[in-house]
Amino acid sequence: MRRLRGRHKAAVYALMALVMIFFLGPIFWFILLAFRHPSEAYTLPPQLFFEPYLGNFGDTFIDPGNNAPQLLSSVIVSSGATLLSLPFALAAAYALSRFAMRGKEFIMNWYISLLIAPPIVFVIPYFILMSRIGWAGTYQAMIVTLQTLAIPFSVWLLKSFMDEVPLDLEEAAWVDGANRLTAFIRIIIPLALPGIIVTSMFTFVFSWNNVLFPLALSKQSTTTLPVGTISFFASTGVYWGHIAATAVVAMLPPMIIFLLLGRYVVRGLTFGAVKG
Amino acid sequence: MPNRYTIQRRLPYLLLAPSVLFLLALILYPLVFALRNSFWFWNLQMGAAPLYYSGLDNYRMVFQVTPFAVALKNTLLLGFLGTFAQFSFGMGVALLLHTHLRGMGLMRAALIMPTTLAPVVAGFLFRYLLEPKGGLLPWLLEGIGFPVPPQGFLGNANTALFSIGLVDTWQWTPFFAIVLYAGLLSINEEVKEAAQVDGASPWRMFWSVTLPLLRPIAAFLVMIRFMQLFNSFDLVFVLTSGGPGTASRTLSFNLYREGLVNYNIGLTAAMTWIVVVIVSVIINLYLIFIYRKREW
Repeated sequence: MRRLRGRHKAAVYALMALVMIFFLGPIFWFILLAFRHPSEAYTLPPQLFFEPYLGNFGDTFIDPGNNAPQLLSSVIVSSGATLLSLPFALAAAYALSRFAMRGKEFIMNWYISLLIAPPIVFVIPYFILMSRIGWAGTYQAMIVTLQTLAIPFSVWLLKSFMDEVPLDLEEAAWVDGANRLTAFIRIIIPLALPGIIVTSMFTFVFSWNNVLFPLALSKQSTTTLPVGTISFFASTGVYWGHIAATAVVAMLPPMIIFLLLGRYVVRGLTFGAVKG
Repeated sequence: MPNRYTIQRRLPYLLLAPSVLFLLALILYPLVFALRNSFWFWNLQMGAAPLYYSGLDNYRMVFQVTPFAVALKNTLLLGFLGTFAQFSFGMGVALLLHTHLRGMGLMRAALIMPTTLAPVVAGFLFRYLLEPKGGLLPWLLEGIGFPVPPQGFLGNANTALFSIGLVDTWQWTPFFAIVLYAGLLSINEEVKEAAQVDGASPWRMFWSVTLPLLRPIAAFLVMIRFMQLFNSFDLVFVLTSGGPGTASRTLSFNLYREGLVNYNIGLTAAMTWIVVVIVSVIINLYLIFIYRKREW
């Protein structure tokens, strides 16, 4: 790598500053909106410094607090979808990582084709199905159907982590008389644990950010936070303060999780295809 | 190479079976449901069950009653332009990060924030920024003399779809940037040094050495993002609801409108199958060109 000198260095920093303003500015501006008094949402010229107002958060999460149950729903649906996908994905990822078998490429590609298929195609029939089996508006309706995304994603990402657990360790356990299941539980699970946690964090975020499934399959009492933000688009006007307050709360968990994920972000976002 | 793995032939299939069967049930139900009902007239507002067999009427109606051709054109336009913009812009940012100047690590960590947002939240961010009266962006643009349509960028038929693409580009360029940056890091320095010794200019080196080496990663990213753009629903829903008129309607939004707003289940079922066929063709064409070795 050639070292950049003076003028080039300044140019790179200047460009990078523009890049950062472009990508982070809108988020910053929206967080400010959550702390503005509703009457100041449209003040121009823009005010960077103002008296912070907490009423938007109070209205949405405390009194009357219509969005507080949505926060709970989001946690239930995202955790439920993550937990349900794990046993299925662990078994499949182990099989794909450890065995030579016919049609492996095909199966891997089949999983990914589910990930990139248009979800709306599935959601409308699910909407009818759920009312037929009495699951309309329930958490389990969302948790089960979200598996169309959660399982394929987790299989891909988990496989990439299991590929990195050395075969020798497992074989040593077999030599010591452990059967496959014991070796899997004693060797693979602990060594792949960071990968399992990373995968769960990503599945949680993707389920958290999903809007289409809860939009079609939830009812008012089970709907999730991102869907809750939409409800403020009332015919009586747009309540920007309320939208911003709920959206800021909705955006925090994914942001924090991504910060925690650090160097695994690239791998997770590419389903394990790019190690990063 | 015979080892203990080939001996236990059945185990891997047993391990795959739960997820494969579960997923098959989850996707076959909708597809079979759609296939059957695409031949029936069924509107939920008129009854809980299909009313009568209508042959191929639903398939005809998809093109006559809904703006299917417009939606297909919008969807493809969004997919191609969005993917191209995000790849190019992301590549540029990746090259900036790759200068390894002080502070780039921190900037890279912060840069990913847009990608972490729920697309609806990203939609709200820009709906607020683009608000024709009181939004920050129209105010700034008018300040520098850039023409702003009186209905705002989202309310104008010429700019609505473009604005959706821009918001998606804002959200996903960081994704391209950090993944391509990871790709740049994985390129062997010796290859580049060899090219330098041969007197290649930086420009030439980028096109003839760096870009070809990034090809496998790039192909994967482009496929995923193109399809996600092709499926665009959340942003369309929040930013324009497909409007004004049908100016920014996408295939996914068209399906949503017919299925979950007009409750036209039969027609939606027919449209579902048309979309499934289009998607399969696109994915397979793409694979034939890019992953020639892979069997899909």
